[in-house]
Amino acid sequence: MKQYIFAGAALALASGGIADARPVSYEGGRTFITEHDRDMSAIWAHYTPHHRYSIGYRGEWHREDDHAFHGAQLTWLAKRWFGADYQANLYLSGAAGLAYGVDDNPAGTGAAGSLGLMADWETRRWFVSYMARGFAGDTVGEKAMQSARLGVAPYVANYGALHTWLMVQVEHSPQAENPVGVTPLVRFFQGPLMAEFGWSVTDDKPFLQFQYRF
Amino acid sequence: MSIRNLALAVALAVSVPLMAPPLAMAQEELSEAQITPAMQTALDEGGSLVIVDVLGAVCDFCALAMTRTFERRAEVAAATVDLDAKTLTFVLREGAQMEDAAISDLIRRSGYQENGIRRAEAR
Repeated sequence: MKQYIFAGAALALASGGIADARPVSYEGGRTFITEHDRDMSAIWAHYTPHHRYSIGYRGEWHREDDHAFHGAQLTWLAKRWFGADYQANLYLSGAAGLAYGVDDNPAGTGAAGSLGLMADWETRRWFVSYMARGFAGDTVGEKAMQSARLGVAPYVANYGALHTWLMVQVEHSPQAENPVGVTPLVRFFQGPLMAEFGWSVTDDKPFLQFQYRF
Repeated sequence: MSIRNLALAVALAVSVPLMAPPLAMAQEELSEAQITPAMQTALDEGGSLVIVDVLGAVCDFCALAMTRTFERRAEVAAATVDLDAKTLTFVLREGAQMEDAAISDLIRRSGYQENGIRRAEAR
């Protein structure tokens, strides 16, 4: 069990190196997210019953490891720092569910979970984030990853206008064929919709993320 | 110009601004981004304007969170956020009231922090 907790924390910190914008919403807010990076594809739908945490369903297809995960994820906003011109956040997350092998992976269905940490600092011009995640499953093994992002907005827009960010993400996945990945991306943000388009220059693979906040 | 006319002009210059309704004074300070058409309509119908300075509002998700949280309230006719001015502005329906503590609580439940509240009466 201890092994799972540790690996989960490491995985939560490592699996899925995507820096989700505001993984906890306003009270009553619902968010739908799809993610596709060099290692996995995921969907995540969460509800925020309290401004300090969100809960929802998360499904992941770890394409490189040929396994899938379906479970519930809880994300806790541990701390938010406010200023007139900035916001900084520290989030912790945990997921629990079932994982099983897909394609050529004969692994059966077993309990699995992840633990993660994410921190960000953002102004209307600059964005910096870090996340780490660890994942462990009875039948599919363990993995971990971490990533960091730096972004700049070439122009500053007001509420309702199209916001554009130029970002670069550096990922570290010790188990991956290329342990260190670099992904330049562009983020578009307008009202309830956020979309990111990038390309992993180390793996020659696309990076996509869409979020819609209801 | 006679002294009497000069005195009258001075008196008018001083008294007209003083007689202007508080809302007009508040609106002079507001940008277009702080008053939406829906808010203007609500003001024309007798609503009252509230301006809240907010900490931490740096993106559209922040603005969306506060706008939706306030517009779900029956007392609120319309709301918007101006990221440039770092304010949430909203219009209370005619006769409706919302205490400062309730406003601060709604901002907190949106995920942000209130940093000052100003009000203006309806015309």
